[in-house]
Amino acid sequence: MIRPLVIFLAVTKNWIRSRSGLFFSIMFPVLLLLVFGAIFSGGGGGSASTLFVQNLDRNPDGTTTQLSSAFLEALNSTKTFAIKDVPADVDPKVWARDNLGPLGGNIRIVIISEGFQDDVLNGTLKVRVGISYSLLNTTYQYFAPYLNETEKMAYEQGLAQMQMYNETLPDARTSLTLAFDASDQSAAIIKNIVINVANAFNYHLIGATSVIEFNEESVTSNRYGAVDYYLPGIIAAFIMTNGIIALTSNTTEFKRRGIIKRLSITPLTKFDWIIGNVLSQTLLSLMLTAIMILVGWIVFNVQAIPDALTIIMIFLGSVMFSGFGMVLGGLVKDVEAASALGNAIAFPMMFLSGTYFPMEFMPSYLQSVARVLPLTYLSGGLRYALIYKYAEGVFTNMAVVSALAVAFIILGSVLTRWKEK
Amino acid sequence: MVNFIVEVNSLVKQYGSLRAVDNISFELYEGEVFAFLGPNGAGKTTTVEILECLRSLTSGSAKVFGYDVTKGEDVKEIKKRIGVLPQDFSALDKLSVKENIDLIGGMYQKKLDTMEVIRLLDLEDKAKERFENLSGGLKQRVGVAAALVNDPQLIFLDEPTTGLDPKARREVWQVIENLKKLDKTVFLTTHYMEEAQLLADRIAVINKGKIAAIGSPQDLISQYGGLKTLIIRKGGKKLADTLQQKYGSTTLNHNDDVLMKADSVNEMWRALSTLTNLSLDKEIEIQTPTIEDVFLKIVGGRITEEGELK
Repeated sequence: MIRPLVIFLAVTKNWIRSRSGLFFSIMFPVLLLLVFGAIFSGGGGGSASTLFVQNLDRNPDGTTTQLSSAFLEALNSTKTFAIKDVPADVDPKVWARDNLGPLGGNIRIVIISEGFQDDVLNGTLKVRVGISYSLLNTTYQYFAPYLNETEKMAYEQGLAQMQMYNETLPDARTSLTLAFDASDQSAAIIKNIVINVANAFNYHLIGATSVIEFNEESVTSNRYGAVDYYLPGIIAAFIMTNGIIALTSNTTEFKRRGIIKRLSITPLTKFDWIIGNVLSQTLLSLMLTAIMILVGWIVFNVQAIPDALTIIMIFLGSVMFSGFGMVLGGLVKDVEAASALGNAIAFPMMFLSGTYFPMEFMPSYLQSVARVLPLTYLSGGLRYALIYKYAEGVFTNMAVVSALAVAFIILGSVLTRWKEK
Repeated sequence: MVNFIVEVNSLVKQYGSLRAVDNISFELYEGEVFAFLGPNGAGKTTTVEILECLRSLTSGSAKVFGYDVTKGEDVKEIKKRIGVLPQDFSALDKLSVKENIDLIGGMYQKKLDTMEVIRLLDLEDKAKERFENLSGGLKQRVGVAAALVNDPQLIFLDEPTTGLDPKARREVWQVIENLKKLDKTVFLTTHYMEEAQLLADRIAVINKGKIAAIGSPQDLISQYGGLKTLIIRKGGKKLADTLQQKYGSTTLNHNDDVLMKADSVNEMWRALSTLTNLSLDKEIEIQTPTIEDVFLKIVGGRITEEGELK
């Protein structure tokens, strides 16, 4: 058992002393976590989305009407938007494009049409009369058996007059126009916010309140932030890249320089070599995990608490991707080809395995692809182990990772050439 | 009774249509330095790697310390007892000299103290230096140190000085001389004639997978090297004609030097006496044949610095 340990120590020392190795294995994932965390954690005073508003509803003196201004205030109160007024006499799309600012961005324009206030008031009055008529009619139907004919006639006359009056009111509806680019990925969210504000405005005008109260609750005992999602994913992704790219490149480099050949002349066996490398990768993965969690705690206050299941998951993930790396290292001869092949496999896997965004965001055919990728199960298992503490979820993913680890190690052992032809 | 460390009989290694090693047989005696001398592609490394249990053989047999290189359990025994400096030796760049030797030493149950090996190779000053910072000659010395760490009885040195500058080459030669003093058996492969002649007790000239000649440098020279040459610098045509008439085998080169091939020591003495009688005030040199002459005679070509046959 001493030989794998000797290999483990030598390979690990060689890696730790390599600045580029250290950067790509540890520093780069940390930087990525910081960048992702900063972008998606939601805190830190990020700027609101720019919303261009062209208010065409004006008083005769050119000032905006009271109701259209109130609607804009309601939009502003959401603190989601930085509202920019578009002059009434310009093409809003052209003006918005010219005034987007040096960094560009997405153009979103709300156009409040002319007559907004009048239409809203008329529409509101019609709705209110309609509601009153409906209420009185229902009351009449309920009490009619107890009324005499004279009372009935008077009531019915009143109701008829009310209905006639309502019909004389203009069937006014006003419209808001929201213009956005088809490629704008946040457009759907912005549209919902504008619709919600408009609905709230409607309720307020007709004096109604929502009877459905909306309560928010977490399905877990803790509330998780975006970084809690990314952290296990990034750890898993870099366990993969360390196995697939770094180990494959190292193996082919050692092979090219005759280091593996030199070792194979000694009593060292192929399995000793593989075990030593797997141990080294496991240590690297544990170090990466510890540093990432520490950064997550300090900078983003993440919930991650490593436990025995996390360590087992990391060990199995390291074995799985070391095996994968050995398979690739056995298939290719030169370092450049190994690096290219490693990248060609690692990068699509990184983006398709729910590492950086939930798989639900992807079309169903890509979700099917994700289900056969090893990283999906390491990412998922680590997320359950490290964040959600959901043992059943860990075990399901762990079973898949274990099976793949065994398969890759066996295949890697077969493909690792220990004797020349 | 002579102890054979290596016994090779009718060894063949075939790669598709290419016969890299073609029915060769030879032995290595205990304590000798045996050199495989030949150009690139002659089959030197292939043969050595078969003996190191790194390559399979196609036919024939090869035994090291009496163990068969094709049998699993025998291979384990062979690997314990041999030390190897492979062609283009390399090690882990970020590890120090000592750590790299420790790495190889860690593969053996029985091994020498690393510092003892480092002292033996005169590498004490460089023990903590990273491998990547060493010169070519020092790297080869680390390779030899790694080959010695398990205290092997047989050491394979595959092209140990290829690519080294003359100074580094001489350093490695000194190391090999020291191995001789330690009574190690050394199997050396090289394409440098001077190296083989200087270091080897016996040389096998190998070309196109076949052993063309085998023996001690002296035996090979006396068998294939041809005659000793008496050179009279700037002797001129008249002297050349005189010697030609008396002894034959005399030529004049483009520098006006007279070159006379002497059949025997007696003939050499007689020619010298003739020159003394002529009271010539010329520079005289006696040139003995070398392994290069042997190689030229046997193979019909010379080996370039890069190891190619021309």
